Amino acid sequence: MRAPAPAYTSNEGVIEAAQAALGALLVESKDAVGEVSLTVARESLIEAMIALRDTPGLEYQQLSEIAGADYPSRPERFDVVYQLLSFTRNHRIRVRVTTDEEKPVPSVTGIWPVAGWLEREVYDMYGVLFEGNTDLRRILTDYGFVGHPLRKDFPQTGYVELRYSEESKRVVYEPVKLAQDFRNFDFLSPWEGAAYVLPGDEKAAAPPPPPAPTPAPAPAPAPAPVASQPEAKGAPTPLTADAIVKADAPAAKATKARVRKPKTTDSTAESGAGKPGPEAGPAPADPDVVKKPRKPRVKKTPEGEA
Amino acid sequence: MADYLDEIEGRTDAGKPEVGDVAIANYTINFGPQHPAAHGVLRLVTELDGEIIERIDPHVGLLHRGTEKLIEYKTYTQALPYFDRFDYCSPLGMEHSFVLAVEKLLDLEVPLRGQYLRVFFAELTRICNHMLNLGSHVMDVGAMTPNLWMFELREDCLNFFERASGARMHSNYFRVGGVRQDVPLKLLTDIADWLDTRLPRLFGDAISLVAENRIFKQRNVDIAVVSRDDAIKWGFSGPMIRAAGIPWDLRRQQPYDVYDRMEFDIPVGTRGDCYDRFMVRVEEVYQSARIMKQCLAEMPEGPVLTLDRKVAPPKRGEMKQSMEALIHHFKLFTEGYHVPAGEVYVATESPKGEFGVYLVSDGTNKPYRCKVRPTAFSHLQAMDFMSKGHMLADITAILGAMDIVFGECDR
Repeated sequence: MRAPAPAYTSNEGVIEAAQAALGALLVESKDAVGEVSLTVARESLIEAMIALRDTPGLEYQQLSEIAGADYPSRPERFDVVYQLLSFTRNHRIRVRVTTDEEKPVPSVTGIWPVAGWLEREVYDMYGVLFEGNTDLRRILTDYGFVGHPLRKDFPQTGYVELRYSEESKRVVYEPVKLAQDFRNFDFLSPWEGAAYVLPGDEKAAAPPPPPAPTPAPAPAPAPAPVASQPEAKGAPTPLTADAIVKADAPAAKATKARVRKPKTTDSTAESGAGKPGPEAGPAPADPDVVKKPRKPRVKKTPEGEA
Repeated sequence: MADYLDEIEGRTDAGKPEVGDVAIANYTINFGPQHPAAHGVLRLVTELDGEIIERIDPHVGLLHRGTEKLIEYKTYTQALPYFDRFDYCSPLGMEHSFVLAVEKLLDLEVPLRGQYLRVFFAELTRICNHMLNLGSHVMDVGAMTPNLWMFELREDCLNFFERASGARMHSNYFRVGGVRQDVPLKLLTDIADWLDTRLPRLFGDAISLVAENRIFKQRNVDIAVVSRDDAIKWGFSGPMIRAAGIPWDLRRQQPYDVYDRMEFDIPVGTRGDCYDRFMVRVEEVYQSARIMKQCLAEMPEGPVLTLDRKVAPPKRGEMKQSMEALIHHFKLFTEGYHVPAGEVYVATESPKGEFGVYLVSDGTNKPYRCKVRPTAFSHLQAMDFMSKGHMLADITAILGAMDIVFGECDR
């Protein structure tokens, strides 16, 4: 590890020791980013925690933190994550159980009284229930708050806002009014795994239309077999390469027409700036656009010289 | 009327209620939320038997701003300033945990000078924080002068922060990969002078007024004694657990940045009372000054921010010469950098204790979940058992010795 993160005892042998101590209670264990995390069965959380605390070689005496996390796509959408700390072995470990809105997680307040508030916070923020916590009130949100704000389906702006009402001489709650729509800019690159379809690309996901009996692409400058090149690279498009070439053809011509006279002047003196060009007369297609500014310029020039 | 006559004739004693007097029921008072000794917005629902505390139910969350939710909607760069606002008395201690957590996920190397500067300013933050806490603690128990003197020192610290980062309190100085900008040499020499002369003299004077003071000791010694076992069970950390007699300091046990090169002592308490907590913090100020002097002596020259252009923006001058630099700058300040998927829990020794960040990344430019482990949460929760049996007036001493700031507790 190159990052200067807090360094504690190595993770070597921790997973094996945990497997030996927990046995069937352990659902999954992994060692990622230098940290060991164990997933245990929810029903047997308390036995697992006591084993982690009391087994020699594990000795996680302190519960540092309980964090919730919400993964709405999963059947058991919530993670409850316990961070344990061992003073004697100078090691940290993470224990995880999963749950949903209804299934309660056994409370660890009997093992560590500090869990009382930490569980209250997870309940407040996610609505996870803890069985055995005798004081499962809300803790951070307001008295009478409705909803669980850290769930992913809870809007960032919330549902109510409060203000002091001069009429009723107290603070009142009102439905939230946004002066401007909530904007959440998406900076994900569409070429690097954005999980949605870009506007205009909806047809790309649909199966390509049956190849029409098109004539052979004789006039195309770069003839390519239609079937082997169904989509242009990068931007998914329902067009065939053939159609793209066709659509590009007029554009290519226009480009050619534009670069017919390459710019060869080097200094501003010969650039023709301020002088009427050789094609100035017949070239403009729209007389309204060009004539009006030209008239005063013709007038101005003699005044300036005089 | 008869009772009254009995009393003035000395047949009963009103000071000693006897059987038959009206039983006094416990009564409940609100301490706070607006109380100068509550150190912010804390509401303590206190059940009293006379003046003896029976039960305390702290109501927190009055400063809850939903920061963890906000961070989920911000890029990693934009999330950093929120950490200044957690514990607004020691902003750089909070930033330290976050940048270390992101660096751990990125597996990013940090230039040595950047690490030294982070340790240097984290220790200055510790001094700054302890100036506020020690001062307000002594003021809560009745002394006025030391607080004013220590605010002088705190003002010096804030001026140093301003010279380094441009902001007095919410510095936003640490970056993933180092610190925002290098400091001028004059600032380092000024801090060195300050550490040698002004800090020890003024701080020593201020502490000498209270440390051996009889009244101060009467208000603090043997108040809210916490045993070692209780300190572990209740999740104590920082000066709170050290005052209970456990020499546990994350700077020493789990060193981050260049703390493994620093020499310092870890003060511990012997009784675990409010006086020990106070004195542990006093000694930590001297140890912080010691660490800062070592930083000044050893700090190498070199870059202060990683040169990995996918994480840290290029210099302004470079952008005027190089298209590549301009693109990097644009991408970093619109999209930000992507952090590999994974989860970490990184805890550092903030001035108040173990400040942890549990960061879950899903591989995008915004954190999927950023849980902050505040130090105050577990300490304040222990308020109930710590103050049971003490007098109402001891609440201020217990709270003052806990060092609680509600920006961090309520998040």
